Amino acid sequence: MNVNFRMRLMLIAVLQVVLTSLVTYYFVTKEYRDLSSESLITLEKFLIDQKKQELKNYTALAKSSVNHLYSQSIPDNTAIKSVVAQIFDGLLYNGDDGYFFVYDGNGTNISHPKEPFRIGKNYWELEDESGEKIIQILLNNAKNGGGFYRYPWLKPSLKASSDKLGYSIYLEKWDWMIGTGVYLDDVYAQLSQLQNEMDRHTSKTKQIILIVAISSIFMIFLFGLIVNLNQKKKTDLKINQLGQRIITLQENERRHFSRELHDGIVQILISIKYSLEATGRYIGTANIQKPEQLNKAQSNLNTAIQEIRRISHHLHPRILDELGLTAALEALASEFTERTAVNIHIVKPAARKLLPDNINTTLYRVVQEALTNIEKHAKATEVAITFEFQNNWLTLNISDNGCGFNQELKYEQPPQGIGLRNLAERVEYHSGRFTVTSDTGGTNIQVMIPKSSFANHFNKTSFEAQK
Amino acid sequence: MTINATSDRKITVLLVDDHPMVQDGLTACLSYYDDIQVVAACTNGKDALDKALSLKPDVILMDVSMPIMNGIDATEIITDKIPDTKILIFSMHESSEFVTSSIQAGASGYISKDTTSEEVYFAIKTIAEGKTHFSSSIAMSLIENPIRPENEKLTTREQVILTWIARGLSSKEVARKLNISYRTVEAHRRNIRTKLNIESLAELVRYAVNHGLVDP
Repeated sequence: MNVNFRMRLMLIAVLQVVLTSLVTYYFVTKEYRDLSSESLITLEKFLIDQKKQELKNYTALAKSSVNHLYSQSIPDNTAIKSVVAQIFDGLLYNGDDGYFFVYDGNGTNISHPKEPFRIGKNYWELEDESGEKIIQILLNNAKNGGGFYRYPWLKPSLKASSDKLGYSIYLEKWDWMIGTGVYLDDVYAQLSQLQNEMDRHTSKTKQIILIVAISSIFMIFLFGLIVNLNQKKKTDLKINQLGQRIITLQENERRHFSRELHDGIVQILISIKYSLEATGRYIGTANIQKPEQLNKAQSNLNTAIQEIRRISHHLHPRILDELGLTAALEALASEFTERTAVNIHIVKPAARKLLPDNINTTLYRVVQEALTNIEKHAKATEVAITFEFQNNWLTLNISDNGCGFNQELKYEQPPQGIGLRNLAERVEYHSGRFTVTSDTGGTNIQVMIPKSSFANHFNKTSFEAQK
Repeated sequence: MTINATSDRKITVLLVDDHPMVQDGLTACLSYYDDIQVVAACTNGKDALDKALSLKPDVILMDVSMPIMNGIDATEIITDKIPDTKILIFSMHESSEFVTSSIQAGASGYISKDTTSEEVYFAIKTIAEGKTHFSSSIAMSLIENPIRPENEKLTTREQVILTWIARGLSSKEVARKLNISYRTVEAHRRNIRTKLNIESLAELVRYAVNHGLVDP
């Protein structure tokens, strides 16, 4: 699957989660809000209605408690009025906050148990913050047969202004307005507590939605990551296998071409060479001078043979297939010594033909590359190649006494040659180990191949042929 | 043109080369010499073995690179079985490793395919007399890399015998298995011991196991 495509899929999934969460969040909070405001309104109405009923009852009670005096008195009996006012002063409920107040028709205070300083003073023009004339409205409500009015007033227990729901009635004979009221702050407190409760629920829901959304996104990413890693592992393996296949293919091709050239074309040229010689001999028997062109052809043919052999050897050393690795390494070493005058000491097993072709080729290429590096960079004077079979491992060591090389550069692709990294991969392909150590005292390249990669190779090939 | 007839009988030659054109060219060249006769030609080591056993030629002109069984392995078996037949390796390869391997296998001479038919003729004649012959370029590489027995590799034949021994066969049984004489097997065993510098049978077996020749 394409990486871009996978990323897009993941993005779509994340987007969907985010979108779903947002929509859920929106509707849930909206529902909550609607629900809470609805129930708040209902509750408020209920509470207020309750209060109103209470007030009506209190007032009715208050009125009936003075009714015997009021009904019998004449309108201007000040003595009775004062008795009644005193009775009202004494009518308290709800602790300090429930009391009765009395004003006359002109707005002059007659009785106020909690604020006695008001008595005798006129409050006709008393206004609240929004400009409503409180006493006038109360009077008006009273004259209209009793009514409710909400206004701010000092709450005794609180010693601060609070919303008050007032109820007033009218004693027509005396032109008195009698009123009482409840402070609404505790109603509001109750309501706000409910509001808080609901808000807490909302934010809890919000948190749950957030957690679900985040963990979903996390899961998507985790899943994506796992899929990605798996895919990467698979891809790496495939790339490695492909690389090995290319190398194997290349080596096989090279071996094939080398064989075709050496055992095919060269043999044909050799046969032509003998035919030319036979021709020369035939001409000789007829006592005719051997033509110069024939000599020239023979000499050119020799050049061609040498050239093709050189190319064939360059492609793939035939000695590796014919005589095995040790012989091929010896040939390689003596060529190297001839070219560079650097001595190579080889330790090798007496047994031969122990390894399959592909391992032979890999090890040969390792030594070839190592010698190329030594010739180019190491300035070595001695090289040792040891090639041993021990403890279920075949170990090949190539060490020199040169100047070593930079560790960081050791896996860089060189301008010439195969490169150590490639060789390491080839060795790993045979389940082997490849290690390079280098310091100023020289370089050592070690290849180890487990016996399981080559055991019984000799039996399957040469041994069977001789049975 | 000199044609030396050293005896009344013609030297019989078996040509072994996987390339028919080379066989033809060589046969054409050698036909100019009266004292040698190409009695047969074959294209691989296995056929060469069969033909050699039935025809018992004086000389086998043996290529190295061939399918099925190469010339060096075939040489070893043939010299084991019919020591009177001399083998002249005739190869494109000039590395000294090929030459030493051929000598160890029992070849009497080694010439390059690059040579003239005169040298081929001369080499056949020489080894038929029981002497050895090497092309000059090859002789040079032999001088540069002399054969030291203690430093020598096992031959394929020796390795096959080592494998049989490691599998628990006695020399007699190996001789029967490979259809060669008991003395030949014993000679091989001595060579193996010398080359590996090993005396005991147990060590021989361990060597074979270490090198993946037999399963432990």
